[in-house]
Order: sequence, then structure tokens, then C-alpha cells
Amino acid sequence: MPRDRLPGYQRAAGFDEAVHESLEVRSHYAAVFEELERLDARELASREKLRDAIFRRLGITFAVYGDSSGAERTWPMDLVPRILPASEWNAIERGIAQRIRALNLFLDDLYVGERAALRDGIVPAWLVYSSEGFVREAVGLPAPHGARCVVAGIDLVRGEDGVFRVLEDNLRTPSGISYVLQNRAALTRVLPRLSARHRIRPVHHYGSSLLAALQSLAPRESAGGPRVVVLTPGIWNSAYFEHAFLAQQMGAELCEGRDLVVEDLVVYMRTTRGLERVDVIYRRVDDAFVDPALFRADSVLGVPGLVCALRAGNVAIANSLGCGVADDKAIYPFVPALVRYYLGEEPILPNVETYLLWDEDQRDAALARLDQLVVKPVAASGGYGIVMGPQATAEQLEICRKEIEADPRGFIAQELVQLSTHPTFVDGRLEPRHIDLRPFALTGTRTEVFPGGLTRVALRRGSYVVNSSQGGGSKDTWILEEGLD
Amino acid sequence: MLSRHAEDLFWAGRYLERAEDTARMLDVTYHGLLEGGSSDSEGAWRTLLEALQLAHPFYATHPQVSPRAVAEYLVTDVAQPSSIVAAIARARENARNVREHLSTELWEALNSCFLELRARDLPGELATQPHELYRDIRTRCHAIAGAAAETMARADPWRFLLLGRLIERAEMTCRMLRVRAQRRETRASFHDFLLVLNSVSALEAYTRAHGADIDPARVIAFLLLSPDFPRSVLYCVRAADGVLEQLEGGVPTVRPRRALGRIRAELEYQDADELRAYGERSVLDRAQAGIWEVAELVEESFFASGPTPQRHIFGSP
Repeated sequence: MPRDRLPGYQRAAGFDEAVHESLEVRSHYAAVFEELERLDARELASREKLRDAIFRRLGITFAVYGDSSGAERTWPMDLVPRILPASEWNAIERGIAQRIRALNLFLDDLYVGERAALRDGIVPAWLVYSSEGFVREAVGLPAPHGARCVVAGIDLVRGEDGVFRVLEDNLRTPSGISYVLQNRAALTRVLPRLSARHRIRPVHHYGSSLLAALQSLAPRESAGGPRVVVLTPGIWNSAYFEHAFLAQQMGAELCEGRDLVVEDLVVYMRTTRGLERVDVIYRRVDDAFVDPALFRADSVLGVPGLVCALRAGNVAIANSLGCGVADDKAIYPFVPALVRYYLGEEPILPNVETYLLWDEDQRDAALARLDQLVVKPVAASGGYGIVMGPQATAEQLEICRKEIEADPRGFIAQELVQLSTHPTFVDGRLEPRHIDLRPFALTGTRTEVFPGGLTRVALRRGSYVVNSSQGGGSKDTWILEEGLD
Repeated sequence: MLSRHAEDLFWAGRYLERAEDTARMLDVTYHGLLEGGSSDSEGAWRTLLEALQLAHPFYATHPQVSPRAVAEYLVTDVAQPSSIVAAIARARENARNVREHLSTELWEALNSCFLELRARDLPGELATQPHELYRDIRTRCHAIAGAAAETMARADPWRFLLLGRLIERAEMTCRMLRVRAQRRETRASFHDFLLVLNSVSALEAYTRAHGADIDPARVIAFLLLSPDFPRSVLYCVRAADGVLEQLEGGVPTVRPRRALGRIRAELEYQDADELRAYGERSVLDRAQAGIWEVAELVEESFFASGPTPQRHIFGSP
């Protein structure tokens, strides 16, 4: 018997993913809450303990920059899964695939094309050329099938009206997919009865899809298939666990810069058998550190000569150099126009309303109501540098205003989206917490969006900050199979 | 596989073996004293430090030998790179670097050993129930080794891990025998050699082969030359050679195998009576020097491939 109320749950204002405004439980959540209801407080605590033990034993931890006390924290996954019915997911899936196709066309246009979108005035050329993410050294670098952004993570939020919007694109080295896979594995172990009552679209094939996409970029035929390696900044990087996990999933070597060497424009890795040729590099090192011969000479994370090898077409790299121009937050407002321009289609997923602060009229409008808006630096990620108007002090807003006036190209302002909430265990009770969603898309010969993605949770009551580096949690995210809504 | 990864695995193997062997030696030293065979407590602890070649560094920081000070130095002292806690931490650090080459079971066993040691009140346990602690450490090391043996594919990562363990073990056995052989020339004792056998779990195997007569020369010959006992020097050397032989095609194994072959030949053609008659010292010295040479050649042959990285190409300083 499906239940219609969650006892004791204080629904927050706005859109709740699991509970109607009438306080009735949405039908696709009924079975999950029915199972959770069976757990008494002791049982719940013991499951949470089991969950923590699983993550700790697997070493699934992440580092928090600027926190000297504990270098590692266990991954916080809430026991209540986030569920999306197939009908809702299908639109998201098509919307993300559409967006990624357009962004890849834009990148190819900029780096090897005739820059038609600039010529035709879709995006102001000066915005592109002033973007930190536009890498001049990457102009002319080839990318097979135009797959420049091979791995993308698109952050979605759902507002009061129940509509999913794109909050930002992550096209450089997005992380989080390993947590998607581990959350699924952990929740299935901790609460097996929960998933047993649904047909959930699987995610465990990510490793083989990633490998196939990467291998499709290989510049040459080779016996036994192209050699793919993962390039990591090393063990102290906050996403190191993920780099190791993906290498293991693909059966690829996990390399650091010092393991690779370029000779005669060919990339080799140092092995116990001597030098062996590398065909494709899945790099999780930022553009600026990839090749100390060309970019930052003080980088010990990169491979000197790598860009020359790329230019010679002897090796492929994913994501391509210079993808950051397309996820620059100042370019973001133009993405819907890029979708129309390159694909001749209406964008399926809308943007969040954004003010271009270099435009005098829009800047004036935004500065007039700074205390209601969210201000973000255009080139940062991970939630760093964001000013939330309603929560900022007058002094913080004044500093923010001065920074904007000094560098209007450097910031955007957005309407504050009242993020949807989701029942989440807090000290053994269900409470509403704000969440977002980061689905992942892979592009090789075609674009594949992975079912679900990473649901991040702002664990503090009322907080909108979901970044794991800033104390956010996560949820296993289920996409139900068709016909089971 | 990547040279850097092979090196990390090799050293993970060495550190694990070092932690286990240290726990074994501590346990038998402690027990030997309890069982009252020797009244010279200080001498027993000093012998242990000498066997581990840690006597000099110990005296540099400690005024005198006391059971407590030695135990803490060898178990909990994080500044002492060979202490059990430090060795496990380094093994785990190395394993973390090569996480993707390890089976999940192996990583879990090693990581939970590290986390548990960190969470426990080790000084308290050393004061009240050291035997339980040493046994626990040994059992955990066996669980790690077991997880590796049962879940790792017989490919190069496994081989480098195993190679590290075998070389460390051969060296540890050599070190321990050298100290005892030295003592034997002055004051041999039945009890001492019983401890030696116990510390490498060899008492049963020895007794089956030679009866209950604990003869120092025979004990040394057994732990040096036994072809079947997995902690004898010859066994480890042969097994290490077997591992090198199996490394995947085209690997430059010639130099380390040549060095191993020399030790092997000397031990395989050794006669136990001759060994007794001429003294074991020179054979042990050569075996230990040979093992050091093998370890160096392994480094040179597998861990240092390719040109030195050129970090600055375009004329930056």
C-alpha cells in the first residue's frame, strides 16, 4: 500500500522532489519511503555506520583545500536516493546531448574552423579573445570527430516552478562520476531492499564507455588497440581517488607527468620494459600545467613537449586544450543562441537568467539589486568566490560592487534559483535539504549522456552550497526504466 | 607497467614484510624473557636492535636500553622509518599511489590495518599486553598477504609486490642469523636458537627435519639452506629468481638474475658440515651483500627507464 504522507517531515517552501505541495508523497517515491519507514532509529544508525565503514575501507575520501586538520574526509552519501522518472529524464538527456553537440561545434569552430559564430555576431569576438579559457596555443590542434569536450559535467538546478535549468557547464576536467558509481554500489549494499523494488537504469558501464570514447580518438591503428593513459596531477589532488578509479575501470595506466616523456614528437611512458608509446591521454591536469615547455615552466605536473606531439598528430588528448573558453561564465549566456545557430533547434534546457556585467545597462540593473542576486567570478569552479546576495553582509556586497566595477568582464550576476529540496536524513530524521544534479556526458563518435549523475546536497539547513569542497553531501541518483513512472 | 608503479609496489612489499618481521622478532624476544631462559634482559633487547641494524640510531636518541623504550622505538615511533607503524603507513602510502593495480580486497586489508593501528592505544597495549598486539599485527600482515595471494592476477604488479617481500625477507633472515652467529662464537645457548626458530615460525618445520635437538649450527644451516621452508634465505632467493623469470616479455632481468644466481649457487652447493667447520660468518656476509646488490640492480633495471626528464626545454634556467 503506497503511503501518502511522510510523518514528521516539514516540507520547505519551493519545489520538493519527493513530496507534493499537498504533502502527498510523489508516486515514484512511495516504495522507497515505505521501505525506509521500516527502519527504526537503531537500525538506521547501524546502516549509516555500515555506509561510513564501506567508504572508509574503500578509501573513498576527498581532500579539502585549506583545511590543515584532516587531509581526508569520508564521502558523505545520504541514504535516501534521489529518483527521476523516465519521462523527466528523457528531456534532460536530450537537452544535455543537444547542448554538448553545440558546444563541441563552437569549440571546433574557434580552434580549427573559420570562427563563424564570431563572424556572424552570435558571440562577441572580444569576449572569446579575453577569456582565460581561450588557449591560443591550441589553435589548429586537431580533434578527431570534433570531440573536443569528451567528458562533460553539466550542473542542473530545479527551481520553484519545477523546471530544470542549466546552472553551469563543466567542460575542462569535470569530476564526480566515480562517486556516482560508488554511491550506487554502496547504497545497494547498505539498503538492498530499497533498490530491489525498482528497475533502475544501470551506470556501471561508464568505464567501458569512457575507454571506447577515448580509443576512438587514437591517431593510429595499433595491434591490441590504442594505448590510453590517465594523466593525474598526483596523489594530493582532491580528485585523485577518481583518477585512480577510472584508470582501474578502464584497465589504463595512471600516469603522472614524470612518467611520460616526449621524444621526436611522440609520447612515451616509462615502464619496466623501457619506453612504450602512448596514443591517447585522458588528462585530469589543467591546461596551464599540461606542458611546461609552452605554458607554466614551473609545472612539474605536465609533460614537456606534449603540445608539439599533439600538433604533429602523434597523440590525442581529452579533453582538448582550450575547452575552458566554452564554460567561461561570461560565454554561458550565449549558449542557447549557439544551440540555435549550430543546430537550428530550440534549446531543450533553459539557462538561469544572467546579467552580463560588461553591458552598462545590465550592470546598472544588477548593481541596483545586488542583494537579491548571485555573483560569480567567470573562470572559477567548485563554488569558490561566489557571493550570495541575500546572505551577504552590506560590507561584502560593497566589496563585490567594487570588484565588479573594476573588472566587469570578470563576473556574472544571476537570479537566485530557489533550489529544489529533497528529504534527507539529518540526525536520524527526514528534513528538506537543497540539491542540484550533475549529469555526465561522453563524446567520442557520438554523445552519450549517463543515466542520472551526481546529486549534491547542501547539508546545512537552508544552505544552497552543494560543493563537496565546501561541506556538501551527495545522493545516489536513480533513473527509473521506461514505463515504471 | 609504469616504472614508478613497479617501484611503489616493490617497496610496499618490503615495508609490509619489515612490519611483520619486526613484530615477530619483538614477540619472541619478549616471550623468551618471560619464559626465563635468559636472565640478561638488556642483552636480549640489544641483540634485537643489532639484528635490525638499528642499534646505532637507537642509542643516538635513547640513553639506555629498556624493554619499554625498545618496544616503542620499534612499534610506535613514527620518526623511525622502520618502526611497525611507520612501515605500515609507508606501505599504505605506496599502495595508494598504485591503487588501480591492487585488488580491492588487498587495498581494504592494508587500509584497515593502517586505520586500526592509528586508532588503537598502542603505548597502552605495549605496556599491558604486548603479545596480543604483536600477534594481531602478524595476523593482519597475513591477511594482507593472503588477500594479495588470493585476489591479485599473476601479472607484473603482483610480481613486483612479491619480489619486494622476498628480498626483504631474505635480508631479514640473514641479518638475524648474522647477529646470532656472532654471539655463537662467544656464548651459544639452546634457548637463543629456540627463539630464532620461533621468530620465523620455523620450530615445527625444523623439528620435523632434525628432531628436537636445537643445535645452533644446524639451526643456522636450516634457515640458510632449507629448500622448502618459505623463510629460509635459499628459498627466498630461489623464489625471487622465479619471479624475475616470469616478468612479462622483454624485461631487462639479466643483471639482477645474474646476482641472484651467484647467491643461489653458493647456497645450493653449500655443505652443512663444511658450514659448521669453517664458520657461517663469511657465507652470511656474502649472502647479505648479494641481496643488497640484487635490490640495487632491480632499481636500476626496472625503475629508471628512459631518459632523465627534461623539465626545461626552451632555455629557461
